[in-house]
Amino acid sequence: MSGRNFLTNPTNGRKATGSEEMSTDKELIYDLPFGPAHPGPGNFSIKLKIRGEEVVSARSDPGYLHRGFEKLMEYRSPMQNAVLSDRICVFEPLNWNLVHAEAVDTLIGTNVPERAKYIRVLMVELSRIQSHMIWYGAMSLATGFNTGFKMAFGYRDYILDLFELITGGRVYPTGYICPGGVRRDLPSGAVEKIKATLDKVEEMLKLEELENPSFEARAKGVGILSAKDAIALGATGPVLRGSGVEADVRKDAPYEIYRQLDFKVPTRKEGDAYARCMVGIDEMKESIYIIEQVLDSLPSGKVREPSLKPELSVEIPNGEVYIRNEISRGEAAMYMVGNGGTTPYRVKIRGPSFLHLIPVLEHILPGNSISDVPAIYWSLNSCPADMDR
Amino acid sequence: MSKVEDIARELNSNFGVETEIRGDNSIWLEVKKDPLILLEFAKRKGFGHLSSISVTDWIEEGKYEVTYHLWSYSDKLLLNVKTKISRDDPVTLSAISLWGANAQIHERELHELFGVNFRGNLDPSPLFLEGWDKTPPFKKDFNWRDYVRKELLDKSNKREKGYWE
Repeated sequence: MSGRNFLTNPTNGRKATGSEEMSTDKELIYDLPFGPAHPGPGNFSIKLKIRGEEVVSARSDPGYLHRGFEKLMEYRSPMQNAVLSDRICVFEPLNWNLVHAEAVDTLIGTNVPERAKYIRVLMVELSRIQSHMIWYGAMSLATGFNTGFKMAFGYRDYILDLFELITGGRVYPTGYICPGGVRRDLPSGAVEKIKATLDKVEEMLKLEELENPSFEARAKGVGILSAKDAIALGATGPVLRGSGVEADVRKDAPYEIYRQLDFKVPTRKEGDAYARCMVGIDEMKESIYIIEQVLDSLPSGKVREPSLKPELSVEIPNGEVYIRNEISRGEAAMYMVGNGGTTPYRVKIRGPSFLHLIPVLEHILPGNSISDVPAIYWSLNSCPADMDR
Repeated sequence: MSKVEDIARELNSNFGVETEIRGDNSIWLEVKKDPLILLEFAKRKGFGHLSSISVTDWIEEGKYEVTYHLWSYSDKLLLNVKTKISRDDPVTLSAISLWGANAQIHERELHELFGVNFRGNLDPSPLFLEGWDKTPPFKKDFNWRDYVRKELLDKSNKREKGYWE
């Protein structure tokens, strides 16, 4: 390892300057920071204590992406906040758009048009697929499987083309899913293009099966999380389902049109990094199935209430709401309090990565080898942005 | 009687709290005393998932409102427990005994952003703001715009100056 100068001995604070100190006293425990250099963990750092190759303990060090969205939203109207909600998570802005829009809709009591609900689900499921592709790509990169990384990011671009066509933005849809519905209807030709893109996603999933063995070798048996610990530590989404717990907000407390849709909740029993990733792959297949159902039964009609133009200044009545959605990382929630003003009085954002990257990660890393840390870290499908908010 | 009504009635008879059922799966209630005993009861009743803890700053009333959002995987129900504490001396009991590291991390965040002290939580070290020694920034009386203007505005930079004027 080239960065020997940052290996310090925590017992006396002096620097370990040469290899002999390490070889003569095998019981020395060293500090090893993982991150926050971006291509590794991505704007996040874990302070590891290592004995030889083994991780003895881990302490998460968040805060590199703290932007204070909860406070910023107190100063802005719902339509402005819809744009802000994109930035909660870089990988899946549309899903966070929906969490925010549902919170405002419920507080105000808006009747969202049926067609808008279908388009919302269509968009968040497309977003779930591309987010899982990033996950697969980053996980491949972390395990030294560069082909997987390039494949996933290449195929993801087809979905980004769709986003550009429908929302105008490739990565950030600037609040496409907004209070009252969605900003605009699907443009002509969008349905055919979505169907063609789904074929591309299926193509990638087939390639993934061919390349599986090298991935398996690095991810199997590392970072094991039991079902009991997963629930106690607040894990949700693929992390929880990878430990054998069948729980999905879309099934357990259906929102939008999920009650009318047919889909399975994939689970795995092993609870290791591989199980979590395979849950992700199976979820992509389920999302394809959901999108096909949505496209087959897409109703006609308005896509926003009021339909002419979005209401820029709207009074948020007294009251509070706690909205939970299943985004690709797990349970995303927003607690919104209104007091009759044009801006929310208080917004609390609950990101799934907040629990996955702090209590869960600190729990599963000890006992593993340092070479497995990247695989374990990425198997949590983490996003430092939704952790820090 | 449905499960949600069942649990609401049980909470009402055991703790004398007013419960409100919203939609078909969520219960909202407010407790006057420290909520730990009620939370412990809720956990035994299946609310094993602590989804989140949040604080609302009711500055005019001089109170903080601490809200616990719990989910039951077995009954598919959401329970929201609210309690008000003094804003000047914001102390409440920690829920670490019930939800361990999950509760710890939520409480640590709220201590940093609102200054709420959760008695029994021994690690209040900051998560986001290193070296911050001013008012907890999410309090209603912390004006971040004033703070940025005073502390961080680069007056020699024309574009920045224009933004504030």
